[in-house]
Amino acid sequence: MKKIGNGLSCSSKSDAEGELVYIESINDVIEIFDEAEEKICLVNDAGTRILGSIFSDLKGVLCTTGGAGSHLATVSREFEIPCIMNLKVETKELTELNGKKAKISTDKENKGNLFLIN
Amino acid sequence: MEHINFLITATPSSELHGGKGSKLINLIKIGANIPPGYIITTKSYEKFINESNYCDELKDLLSTSYSKHEVIEHSAKIIDLVMKTQIPEIIIKEIKRGHILLNYANSSFAVRSSASFEDSKHFSFAGQANTYLYQRNINDVIKSVKKCWASFFSPQALLYFLHIKKKNNSLSLDKIRMAIIIQKMVNASVSGVLYTSNILNNDRNQMLISSSWGLGESIVNNSVNPDMIILQKGNFKILEKTTGKKEKKSIPNSIRSGTVLIETNTFYREKFSLNDNQIRQLYDLGLKAENTFNYPQDIEWAFENEKLYTLQSRPITTLKN
Repeated sequence: MKKIGNGLSCSSKSDAEGELVYIESINDVIEIFDEAEEKICLVNDAGTRILGSIFSDLKGVLCTTGGAGSHLATVSREFEIPCIMNLKVETKELTELNGKKAKISTDKENKGNLFLIN
Repeated sequence: MEHINFLITATPSSELHGGKGSKLINLIKIGANIPPGYIITTKSYEKFINESNYCDELKDLLSTSYSKHEVIEHSAKIIDLVMKTQIPEIIIKEIKRGHILLNYANSSFAVRSSASFEDSKHFSFAGQANTYLYQRNINDVIKSVKKCWASFFSPQALLYFLHIKKKNNSLSLDKIRMAIIIQKMVNASVSGVLYTSNILNNDRNQMLISSSWGLGESIVNNSVNPDMIILQKGNFKILEKTTGKKEKKSIPNSIRSGTVLIETNTFYREKFSLNDNQIRQLYDLGLKAENTFNYPQDIEWAFENEKLYTLQSRPITTLKN
């Protein structure tokens, strides 16, 4: 496993593994609508509202901005799925992460870590 | 007036004023500083639906079950009919009169939803209905009222509703009653969210504050990485203070109703958004609200210079025992 990013863990502290999907628009959501199980969605600030339609299926949520007080973090807590806000990743082009197997974990100081699995 | 009630004299009835509205009324009663305004009651929403030329079709759609695969189509049908429905003339008349009585002819207004089962202890409905900020004139306020009603039937809102229906099967769209809160805008220099328990570690002896420059929508909408403070409760003490990037801020659109996001300059990115006096004011507000509602609260607030305004208070829905 390789650690590629971290941020603030704002929801469930459980580990989660799944397939990364970078969501930029409602069209991206529609594309995975029937296969959202086992997915970990990655959004920037523009994508947060549209995730509501697949939240109940997701393994985790990652956002490149934001903090604990956002609607995304609040709803993540309600759905009890791991959520990392203000995620900083090594990868410059987030679309390169599409389809990669990943793991989210949280350490004692509420730091959320993102790993790529193999 | 039958269809609107001023916040300062209204009764805290969630049936009539929705969850958010009812909480605001209670906050006024305990001395919190709430932006002045009025509520278009849930009875007005019922009248809007019942007198619609599309009433039968709307009621049929609202009482029909749907699956997640049908959400987008179901949402589009409902929103189309809501937007084609005229707001009854008597309601428009009272909204206009309410504006005159508020005597803020040159002010802008916030238009926000307040549903009858919103902000319960289990489901916050955070971000599910739209808010329209800085509506500059009465016509834009009236248009926003209808858009607010329609936004409760967006695809994301309908899916969120499906989720909560798993826990409470008696809920259905035709049982939603939506009030709308119209309030004078706070010209916020700094805004944010205050949790009267620490939602990151479930410690009820701590508070957590997120803050950033300008309007609070930049925090709730994830547009910025905000400042964060953790406070000790009971014996006021700052336990942790983290300066966020605050890379953008939301400010009024200078040309039309609404807001815009602009880049924050370097000086303000590096400066902590709250001073000691403001932190203490928030702490005191948090204790008061939690004691009043007898439950940890998620409070949206804004400072207009040193004056603190409370914008919303709802139970924290996700604390673990």
